Amino acid sequence: MKRFLIWLKERLISKGKSDSMLANLVRMLAATKDKELSCDDVYAMLEQFTEAILRGAPVTGLMASIEQHLEVCPDCRDEYEALLKMMQPA
Amino acid sequence: MTDRDNDSWVNDLRKPGPQREAALGDMRSQLLRVLPRGISRWLSPNNAEFDDLVEDVAQETLLRVLNQLDTFEGKGKFTNWVYKIAVRLALNELRRRKWRNVSLDFLQQEADDEGASFQFPSDDPSPESMAERREIMHQVEHAINEKLTAKQRAVMQAVVIYGVPMEEVARRIGRDRNAVYKLLHDARKSLKSHLEKAGFPPEELLAMFDK
Repeated sequence: MKRFLIWLKERLISKGKSDSMLANLVRMLAATKDKELSCDDVYAMLEQFTEAILRGAPVTGLMASIEQHLEVCPDCRDEYEALLKMMQPA
Repeated sequence: MTDRDNDSWVNDLRKPGPQREAALGDMRSQLLRVLPRGISRWLSPNNAEFDDLVEDVAQETLLRVLNQLDTFEGKGKFTNWVYKIAVRLALNELRRRKWRNVSLDFLQQEADDEGASFQFPSDDPSPESMAERREIMHQVEHAINEKLTAKQRAVMQAVVIYGVPMEEVARRIGRDRNAVYKLLHDARKSLKSHLEKAGFPPEELLAMFDK
């Protein structure tokens, strides 16, 4: 097990990354709320949220909750960024 | 290509026949045009697999759209709802391909297994790695090892250290993404609370990284 973890670290992590990993984790902890939307909640509203962002709507209420989820959920954030690219005028 | 509003899309797609075929053809053309913009950050358009992936995702998206047509609530644009389905399909496929040959057996440990302790990778100190950051790293590692369950620790290690997508973690442990998110949310709340009590509120720590 230990040898496997060492192998995985060597394979996946280049030197000098621990600072950014720590910063990433601290950012996620700072953004953590007691109550957060689930990934399914965010997915259900993702195109509406992205449309609102593109028309410059204020990020309040439910919009702010979605934005908070995107700060702590890399998978949903990637999907939002891909969708944003597709919805932006070419 | 016909310009359609939401109702026209739904009506044209609802019944088999020439209108549906025309609408599917138009939607396919739109997907083939815009999907490359969405996924090119994750897969280079120069990659030999790029065109096939776009084609496959467009096809699968159309099938999903027909199956899920009744779930479209009309709160946003229909085409954007379709794009969202395509994005989820494409990124999940890319996540699966990227990690398919990487063993993540440590995620499968039993609940009564204490699991491996968490440690940030040791590396050469960067100019930014001051003593105070090392102290923070030590505190965070300690909190992760003392306050999280073995399962929370393993999942956090996979997501934060190795950058494994939650979707892939979910697939490996036989759960859905919501369940993995909930597990990590509970872990984050526990860590945040512990660090606050220990005098290291994450909001203040963050300021140190933004210097």
